[in-house]
Amino acid sequence: MLMKKGIFVDELRNVVIKIGEIAEEEEEWESPGPTPKPGIIELRKWDHKLLERYEPFYAPMQDFCNLCTMGPCDLSFNKKGACGIDLRTAKARLVTIACCIGASAHTAHARHLVDHLIEEFGEDLPINLGGDVNVEAPLIRTVVGIKPKTLGDLRKALEWAEKEIVKVLHSVHIGNEENFVDYESKAMHVSMADHVGMEVADIAQIVAFGFPKAKPDTDLVPTGFGIVDTKKPVICVVGHNVMYSRPIIDYLERSGRIDEFEVAGLCCTAHDMTRYRSKAKIFGPISYQLRVIRAGLPDVVVSDEQCIRADLVDACSKMGIPLIATSDAAVRGLTDVSDWKAEDIVEALVSGKLKGVFLPVPEKVGEVAPKVAEEIFKRNKDRKYKFFASDDELKAEIAKCTQCMSCVFTCPHNLRIDIGMAQAQKTGDLSKLAILEEQCLACGKCEQSCPKQIKIVNVIMRSNFEKLYAKTGKTRVGRGPIQDTEIRKVGQPIVFGQIPGVIAAVGCINFPDEMKSIVEILEEFLKRKYIVVTSGCHAMDIGMIKDEEGKTLYEKYPGNFDAGCIVNVGSCVSNAHIAGAAIKIANIFAMRPLRGNYAEIADYILNRVGAVGFSWGPYSHKAASIATGFNRLGVPVVVGPHGTKYRRAYIGKPWKNDKWWVYDIKSGKKTFIEPAPDSLLVAVETKEEAIVQLARLCIRPNDTSMGRQIKLTHYIELSKKYMGDLPDDWHIYVRSEADLPLKMREELLKVLEEQHGWKIDWDKKKIVEGPLRGYDAGFNPTVVEEVFAKYRR
Amino acid sequence: MISKEEKFPIAKRYNVADVQVSRDATAVKPVVVVNLIKKAKNPVLITGGSLLREEKLVEIAVKFYEKGIPVIATGGSSKPLIEKGVKPLFKTYTLHQITQFLLDEDFKPNGKSFDVVLFLGFLPYYLSRMLSALKHFSSITTIAIDEFYHPHAKFSFTNLTKDKEMHYAMLEEILSRI
Repeated sequence: MLMKKGIFVDELRNVVIKIGEIAEEEEEWESPGPTPKPGIIELRKWDHKLLERYEPFYAPMQDFCNLCTMGPCDLSFNKKGACGIDLRTAKARLVTIACCIGASAHTAHARHLVDHLIEEFGEDLPINLGGDVNVEAPLIRTVVGIKPKTLGDLRKALEWAEKEIVKVLHSVHIGNEENFVDYESKAMHVSMADHVGMEVADIAQIVAFGFPKAKPDTDLVPTGFGIVDTKKPVICVVGHNVMYSRPIIDYLERSGRIDEFEVAGLCCTAHDMTRYRSKAKIFGPISYQLRVIRAGLPDVVVSDEQCIRADLVDACSKMGIPLIATSDAAVRGLTDVSDWKAEDIVEALVSGKLKGVFLPVPEKVGEVAPKVAEEIFKRNKDRKYKFFASDDELKAEIAKCTQCMSCVFTCPHNLRIDIGMAQAQKTGDLSKLAILEEQCLACGKCEQSCPKQIKIVNVIMRSNFEKLYAKTGKTRVGRGPIQDTEIRKVGQPIVFGQIPGVIAAVGCINFPDEMKSIVEILEEFLKRKYIVVTSGCHAMDIGMIKDEEGKTLYEKYPGNFDAGCIVNVGSCVSNAHIAGAAIKIANIFAMRPLRGNYAEIADYILNRVGAVGFSWGPYSHKAASIATGFNRLGVPVVVGPHGTKYRRAYIGKPWKNDKWWVYDIKSGKKTFIEPAPDSLLVAVETKEEAIVQLARLCIRPNDTSMGRQIKLTHYIELSKKYMGDLPDDWHIYVRSEADLPLKMREELLKVLEEQHGWKIDWDKKKIVEGPLRGYDAGFNPTVVEEVFAKYRR
Repeated sequence: MISKEEKFPIAKRYNVADVQVSRDATAVKPVVVVNLIKKAKNPVLITGGSLLREEKLVEIAVKFYEKGIPVIATGGSSKPLIEKGVKPLFKTYTLHQITQFLLDEDFKPNGKSFDVVLFLGFLPYYLSRMLSALKHFSSITTIAIDEFYHPHAKFSFTNLTKDKEMHYAMLEEILSRI
């Protein structure tokens, strides 16, 4: 046989033939940057730059490790364990694990949503976030390097995020990293994936469910404990994935009975229900779960996933409230009734044969929940809603207390429950117990520790019942993304500093103070024309606190992304739009390319965008990854005092001058700068301290003189108001006399001369000598060598 | 060496679940605190946000300052202190930041490193984390003189939560002897 000239099969061994998805050429919307779909080490250099300046700080919760069978190991005083890991690195690993949990939560949520929505709407459903949003997915563009056009495209971003989460999770296995900085880099990496996961989830639900698309003036919805009409059946949804409970609204609308029911939610599912239909209401954050359930307000509870009590079945069944668990992340030991007929599920729940069911079929949930609520409501019409059947019952409960203080030594806030009980026993006065309600998380740990089994949570709630019930404010429905047109308007004043800063109040409810403190802090900045952005639990807490005229911040300040406005972006996953807004400033205002260009964008934000995250009551793992993701993006975050329990912070040392430098692209030189911002993650103790820290961390090296003057004016005024004097470090931010607040210029020049030894020309009222560096209008800072080389060309 | 009489019995930690394997603070009486301050080369008092709510603690901190102990005021505690004539070494930085600085041997704001640090007026869970950092990563002698027993300090008052007057009396006793 004659052999023809050609290729032998053997020679084809390295050729891969893929059958399935036809790879489409990515549209050339931007030149690809250096790090599209970055792996676990592609941005390590950027992280190390940050961590060199903002040194990781560890405050161990435990000084031992028991993650493997060679342990437990005593790591105290930075000793090494059996595997060789020291205490610092073990803590960095633990933080990385926390960030993996947070990233997985948002990304799994996104995966659930995207797969379900593609099934329902098809993968070609276009991503349309409204006419004013052309940069639809700033995080996905910057990190993954793609421009998603359809629901199906979101899968590509998800696949990248899932891969990276697994890789980082692998790194925390015994015997991997031995340097805490490298674990921090991995925590940052997985937290960046978290931000991508959040963006996927929120874009998917906005386009598929028809949520508001960047609309500043969304509806105001009732918020608080006392919002529901108890003459109607109440359906309470709780969790973070609205996919399962949305059909309840659909069913009630289809049957024309939406006005005969109350649909109210707890946590982010509440936000997202109101984004779907503003007839839904918001009970409150996670700390309102026991309040609402033990008051007997719901006729049925529908749970999905994340930040839901792990004793929900028990809490609901004690009150005779049937539970429908829907997410495979929280099956709760319940019977899977997916294949049951709807009427059989209703019968089992109403009759009490089952305390609860696991029903992961959204359409069935939509039908079952209203039917169960209606039947239970008929039975419960005479509910008291007051935690105790009578005053005598309350009195008897209080009488059991022996002031042993076990509750005080287990309460997250060490609330003085003993004092409240003692006063009530002696005089019948409940006021000291009532005060506790304003700060109580209703976590119930006190009851677990009480040797007399007192229902302490109920006692506290009942003691402040009138005020609790009067908490009925309004939340402006989450609007989703920030418009490109808004960014065009505020981009320059933010980068130049005329808008003194963006305060992003994000996170949970583990406040160190009464709930109203979040409003007091934010209003200080709204009055001073900062932009305030919020989401999640913080956003609904704001909606519960009214001023003397009965108005919440949402009713007093507009919802635009502009100076003196307050923007509620929505639920936890909507936080992506806050990071997205910072990225859009770099892109839309400064024309920096996004595609696979993370380090350049983060470097731009760190040096120019005076945005600060603020989590007054962080508690979840998601809060850890959200904050760490912001940190990698160059956004500092201030947390409340409970935030120290994350064990790690990023705190720079402002007195170490050699740590604070940039390359100035204009002059081509390495330039030493003022330490702005000097921390990337720091905890504050009080609201006064929070206000001052937020103001000082808005300062950026790139501020113009006018911008620096405005920022310093607020910083100095706030320091005088809350700290009693000029800040310790105000002078290091002064580059010339033009940076000084106008009204205080002479006074401050005098201080510079007398206390800091600066030379002043008093005739011209000019600084002659003293500042670390002078002001140059063309100053163009970067800490990234590649960016420096790119723009110096 | 601290005598038996100078110690309190083993105390309940401010949060029963804040457990570690390393040494717990020695619960001490005021006389021990006095001796530690007297022997210190460069002691400092750090004050926290409770001073905004508890006037007596302001009075105590002012007296420490008047006795020559420098004060670092955090959490907004500088305001009432400055009103009473105290010039704190710092008033802007948080306890979190100050603790990070203390961990650095180069931190010498008054020319020397601090060897003994007293803490007054803090949320217990917040202070506890900072004490843990200082315990594991520094050789500083930390003394918690708040009303809760702090296991991660080197020395701490016992729990005085039941008897505020006794707490104040113990603070006054220190002041009267330094």
